[in-house]
Amino acid sequence: MSLELLWSPFVEFAFMRRALVGGVALAVSAGPLGVFLVLRRLSLMGDAIAHGILPGAAVGFWLFGLSLPALTLGGLVAGLGMAGIAAWVTRRTGLREDASLAAIYPISLASGVLLLGLAGNKLDLLHLLFGSVLAVDPPTLNGMLLVSTGSLLLLALIYRWLLMDSLDPLFLAGVSRFGPLAYGLFLTLVVLNLVVGFQAIGALMVVGLMMLPAAAARFWSRHLPRMLLLAALTGAVCVWLGLLLSYYANLPSGPCIVLLAGLAYVCSVLLGPLNGLLRRQPHLSPAH
Amino acid sequence: MIHCHNLQWGPGGRALTPPLNLHLAPASLTGVIGANGCGKSSLLKVIAGIQQPLRGAIELTVPRLGGVAYLVQQQALDRQFPIKLHDLVSAGLWRSPLNRQQRQTRLEQALADWGLLDLQQHSLQALSGGELQRALLARLSLTDAQVLLLDEPEAALDEHGLVLLWQHIQRWHTQGRTQIVVSHSISNMSQHLDNALLVSRSGCIFAPIRELVGQRSSLEQVA
Repeated sequence: MSLELLWSPFVEFAFMRRALVGGVALAVSAGPLGVFLVLRRLSLMGDAIAHGILPGAAVGFWLFGLSLPALTLGGLVAGLGMAGIAAWVTRRTGLREDASLAAIYPISLASGVLLLGLAGNKLDLLHLLFGSVLAVDPPTLNGMLLVSTGSLLLLALIYRWLLMDSLDPLFLAGVSRFGPLAYGLFLTLVVLNLVVGFQAIGALMVVGLMMLPAAAARFWSRHLPRMLLLAALTGAVCVWLGLLLSYYANLPSGPCIVLLAGLAYVCSVLLGPLNGLLRRQPHLSPAH
Repeated sequence: MIHCHNLQWGPGGRALTPPLNLHLAPASLTGVIGANGCGKSSLLKVIAGIQQPLRGAIELTVPRLGGVAYLVQQQALDRQFPIKLHDLVSAGLWRSPLNRQQRQTRLEQALADWGLLDLQQHSLQALSGGELQRALLARLSLTDAQVLLLDEPEAALDEHGLVLLWQHIQRWHTQGRTQIVVSHSISNMSQHLDNALLVSRSGCIFAPIRELVGQRSSLEQVA
């Protein structure tokens, strides 16, 4: 096998090139966000938000047709709205946060599907959920690059607050007012990444690109900057190899990318030096 | 420094004690004693501004932000969190106006004070309960907070740790910081501090701790 096979589809086809650049950009920003979700024990939040996006994107599509800004704005409002409602119910009633999220997202998914039905079914539901590389046209690519760069910059800016708010919010509240704002900005970034990702790899598949590299990174390092870097790199490599796999085997791209990330995760669970199943570690102390 | 006017507090809208009037002077060192569930920890939370009082008012002469440091009872920190002890402790300098060099000096001093120099590169997972408690106390000692609220600071500390703790409480006292210490160890408290607040359902009593020790058992039987 010639090594040329690893890049020739991207040289040959502009749509493959756009999918690669956009996908890698997205992976590089989604991975670190996923690491923070794992640290905050909100690993299921991404999934819930991805479902929450759907009705907003459907309304956007209904009103404005297949326009990227409309879909993005609708998705952003709905995604943040769902997360906000879940958090509000939790705070007002004491319902556990995971239960609150789990209750909200089937509602979103069902209403999204109904709205798409009302919109005349011109927007393929499967496309929305599982994406298509062909969907990455130049405006979408620009959107992905913008969100990715913006996410990384903002994440670097709020890193210190987000870190302490994740570890010890009570302490942070005693020394800074910025904790809740940092958390809100972080959630906005999560929603934004999921929204721009749903075009290219699908609303549900992009969650895999966010969470799998993040969960895998935990088996390799206990040093946060290293974990963030590792998650970003793993995601980027999975996008590249996943696109190749989808090209040569003629398979849908989203599932290819996510299954490769899944493979990276399984290998990490088995072989990772930190508590990996096949590495003997004497001190597996329970979480406190 | 801390003024409570007809203060009532408690979880779920249920007041735990009759209204409390209490005035704590700057640089005072006050113990809080009482049976389990009498509302000692909730009182600290109300003073720290984490819980709202049910009735009455509480006034602090320092801003809550940066002015009050609160050591939580039974730390619920995620031990898998990827952070080293050094970075956890250095967060105490969050609001510090010092420059980099001065911060480094103060941090090393605090680590040395609490016997943590050899542990600073350890992850949270590798720490024992007492070591983590010392790290949190070291973080607290680095803040410039004038009000220190310590909820069962003796938890998980060994004998050496206890000696360090009471040394520091004395040192903070002489520095003029206002302290409230919740503890069940009456013997340690009566050795190191003068006044205490006995919290109970039948009423709160602020008095010299030696007087309270005798009353405590009889009061709790009434309650």
